[in-house]
Amino acid sequence: MIYREAGQFKTTYPEDQQIFPIRQDRYAMAAILAVAFCVIPLVASDYWFTAILIPFLILSLAALGLNILTGYTGQLSLGTAGFMAVGAFAAFNFVLRVPGMPVLLAFFLAGLTAALVGLAFGLPSLRIKGFYLAVATLAAQFFIEWVLIKFGWFSNYNSSGVISAQKIVILGYEFTTPRSKYLLTLCIVALLALAAKNMVRSETGRSWMAVRDMDIAAEVIGIRIFRVKLLAFAVSSFYCGVAGALWAFAYLGSVEPAAFTLERSFQILFMIIIGGVGSILGSFLGAAFIVLLPILLNVGAHYIPWVARDLLSNLELIIFGALIIFFLAVEPHGLARLWQIGKEKLRLWPFPH
Amino acid sequence: MTFFFEVLIGGLLAGVMYSLVALGFVLIYKASGVFNFAQGAMVFFAALTFVSIVERGLNFWLAFAVTLAVMIALGFAIERLMLRPLVNQPQITLFMATIGLAYFIEGLAQGLWGAQVHAIELPIKDVPFTVAGVNVSQFDLFISGTAGVLVIALAAFFNYTRIGRALRAVADDHQAALSIGIPLERIWAIVWAVAGFVALVAGLLWGSRTGVQFALTFTALKALPVLILGGFESIAGAIVGGLIIGASEKLAEVYIGSSIGLNIGTGIENWFPYALAMVFLLIRPEGLFGERRIERV
Amino acid sequence: MNDQSIPERLIFHDAIEVMEVDFSYMTFDTEAQVDEFYDEVDRRCTSTNRRWYFLVIYTGCIISPEVWDRFAARGKLANINYGLGTVRVGATALIRDVIRQRAQAQMFRANIFESRDQAMLALGEMRKRREVLGAGVTEAYLRVDDIHLTFGGVKALTGVGFQLSRGEISSIIGPNGAGKSSMLNVISGFYRPGRGKIFFEGKDRTHLPAHEVARLGFARTFQNIALFKGMTTIDNIMTGRSWKIKGSFLTDALYWGYARREEIRQREHVENIIDFLEIEAIRKVPVGRLPYGLQKRVELARALAMEPRVLLLDEPMAGMNLEEKEDMARFILDVNEEWGTTIVLIEHDMSVVMDISSHVVVLDHGVKIAEGTPAEVRADPVVLRAYLGQG
Repeated sequence: MIYREAGQFKTTYPEDQQIFPIRQDRYAMAAILAVAFCVIPLVASDYWFTAILIPFLILSLAALGLNILTGYTGQLSLGTAGFMAVGAFAAFNFVLRVPGMPVLLAFFLAGLTAALVGLAFGLPSLRIKGFYLAVATLAAQFFIEWVLIKFGWFSNYNSSGVISAQKIVILGYEFTTPRSKYLLTLCIVALLALAAKNMVRSETGRSWMAVRDMDIAAEVIGIRIFRVKLLAFAVSSFYCGVAGALWAFAYLGSVEPAAFTLERSFQILFMIIIGGVGSILGSFLGAAFIVLLPILLNVGAHYIPWVARDLLSNLELIIFGALIIFFLAVEPHGLARLWQIGKEKLRLWPFPH
Repeated sequence: MTFFFEVLIGGLLAGVMYSLVALGFVLIYKASGVFNFAQGAMVFFAALTFVSIVERGLNFWLAFAVTLAVMIALGFAIERLMLRPLVNQPQITLFMATIGLAYFIEGLAQGLWGAQVHAIELPIKDVPFTVAGVNVSQFDLFISGTAGVLVIALAAFFNYTRIGRALRAVADDHQAALSIGIPLERIWAIVWAVAGFVALVAGLLWGSRTGVQFALTFTALKALPVLILGGFESIAGAIVGGLIIGASEKLAEVYIGSSIGLNIGTGIENWFPYALAMVFLLIRPEGLFGERRIERV
Repeated sequence: MNDQSIPERLIFHDAIEVMEVDFSYMTFDTEAQVDEFYDEVDRRCTSTNRRWYFLVIYTGCIISPEVWDRFAARGKLANINYGLGTVRVGATALIRDVIRQRAQAQMFRANIFESRDQAMLALGEMRKRREVLGAGVTEAYLRVDDIHLTFGGVKALTGVGFQLSRGEISSIIGPNGAGKSSMLNVISGFYRPGRGKIFFEGKDRTHLPAHEVARLGFARTFQNIALFKGMTTIDNIMTGRSWKIKGSFLTDALYWGYARREEIRQREHVENIIDFLEIEAIRKVPVGRLPYGLQKRVELARALAMEPRVLLLDEPMAGMNLEEKEDMARFILDVNEEWGTTIVLIEHDMSVVMDISSHVVVLDHGVKIAEGTPAEVRADPVVLRAYLGQG
């Protein structure tokens, strides 16, 4: 009854091509943004900011990046964390070595650096496809890890192993409190998500999806497949690079390679599988799921005291593993698709069909 | 020069270890067409189960038998719960599913048996003896011998038994195999069980070398370059690939690092096998022993 | 017996622009005889100051092997100077074979018929074609020359060559495995021929990769539908506009402004095609959910969205019932008439081929065994043998 399209006619192409064609969706999105920007900063506790919201936002950004490459263009990548690491270290070095470098510009340049690295590791996509390309991205992950550790220049020859990220200062204002970091992250992620949505619904996105669905047919239409793949690598790595920079500056407070290991790459891959490959919403849903699940398990364990402590962390692994298999087998388009199905049922409710 | 040979032989022997793990991958790839990322986790699970059973009092051979039974049961379960629902999916999807499977098995192993490191005592001592002025460990020779026996046994199994032939038929063309009455599901279960056996042997050998710990699961990552070099479907390729990767890895670690003079030697072995594999991919994508695939439009 | 005088053997039918050249029961032994005949042809034709379709009657004609070259050369010259096209009737087996060989080697149509009626029918088709094309009929728009293609040990195509004029609808037919799809794949740029050349608008295009061929104006459909299953109908058709859409990922990311205007412009174009092919109702449906016949139509729409100059259709009517076939045939004809698109189609349904094409190439086991108008090919005994088996 509530979720009805009745009366909402699209009379022009622009109306038909909106991001949220249904009025109720527009209101819902506006409400979510209002809550995110206005309500949450007022009511949430520091714990929520630092432990849940900020990592959720940053990981969503990384998931967005991976989704562009794997979900929309169909190139499986296992090197996500590597590109994040490039972003983190690049941002650190730009702020460190260029006097007077504005932090936001450093983030942008960090993204660009990551994009260049991503481009380099995307070059093999000219000759190799699918599974083998995934192996190439694994090589990227290991190589980047090794380079960042071995060549002390990147960590400013810091021998203690812990490199503090610099303070974020924008136009004289210091972003030191969790709330301010949250708002900064929110702004960056929201803008980049909007950009992603725009790219995905226009020609860029269509050529990405064409390469994913059937690259032979894409060639026949005149799409230059190699360029499209390289663009996907570059844009995806940009997003991951910015996410990495944010992870170091706005979340951890330190720049360390240990935050960007293969486990992180898998974690983000799991996010898009569970959340929904090829879906902007799915990136957010998957990130939320993966960030919240351990917390929920922890909380739940308090109520079931007989569960052994160490079983918990293993339980996480078991649940993730099982869920991955489940989603791949049952609903490859993840939570986002389930959400869509739910919305369709809602359109009919309370009627059965 | 002796040093070079020691490094080389050390690398080759390490390579034999890789080959052992790679064998499991080849088996499953040959029959199911899927790269089983969870093979490393299976090695870990097998070793951990074995060790835990031994620590609870059973003798070596009984523990081996019990663990083998567990691995076979695991293989059947995987076929039932993971392979069957995903039967027509593209290779990439199956690969991602095995990543999930790896996490699942790791969580299960540690959840069941705990996360401490265990040691495995095998009757062979890790004592070196010299051959032509080069130090070789008795233990390494034992490993090579075991691996060799396994390879010959598997090769014989595939080429001369009825089940082996059926496995090859299934690997070639599922539909055709079905149409001549080969029970696909049973075959897959058998293969995963054999892979479990290989995982157990590999787990025992690796575990006695480095201790049974979580890091064992990352052997999967080492096997990838081995298979790219050797071809995903070739047992011989797994051996040759393993040897090449093992040797080149150690040699690169020692020689490339020192020649550049930057003291960056250590750690090269993490990515060098991958670099080698990538070069191969660009030149000869199907590996040394693999089959060429022509894409028809 | 050369009892009739030469002028009596040259009959002009003004109304239908046909000049009848009656070689019946003549004997040509010497080059002088050949020259005498053709000099008269020259004289008469020049005096009319027009061009003519030639109807050549060979019944009972005997031409000595020594003078064949001269005969053929003079005939060719006459055609170039005054001919719009030639149909031949009543040739004996020997003459027929010689003409066919030469036709294959020198790229002209043999056009040999059993009866005068058949010949006149073909002449009518030729005239219809010329009306569509206007002048410059004999210039080849797309020419495929001596194509050899081998996979491993299998010879898919051996020495296949043919040419098309602009605006023609041409069919490639042949038994299964004849190499028809391979031929299309070579033209599309997917397969590189081992030997041979492809000329488009006179320029050598043999080594272009598939996406460059597409940008040149070639669109195609596939036997097993190559739609993008993850997208809706309209998105699939929009992908056809890919090579025409200007802008980059940056303008797309900013969207409001340049990218939006482009989207709308392309959307309008795509909507025209949707209207043309009557698929409005399924615009937003993911193509994976569409029935087979509609998927084929969507694939055709996507090909049309590219504004192609040459449309290659690989079995566009496979798996369709009669009604759907008629719809598809109507669409194909409409495309050809409205936009002048040259069409090459692979088809098994002979009635379709005969009805809508003006030119047919017959392949068998990778070799071209016949080429010509539908009427001629249908009557060709070599073709019949290939389809029905040995005599």
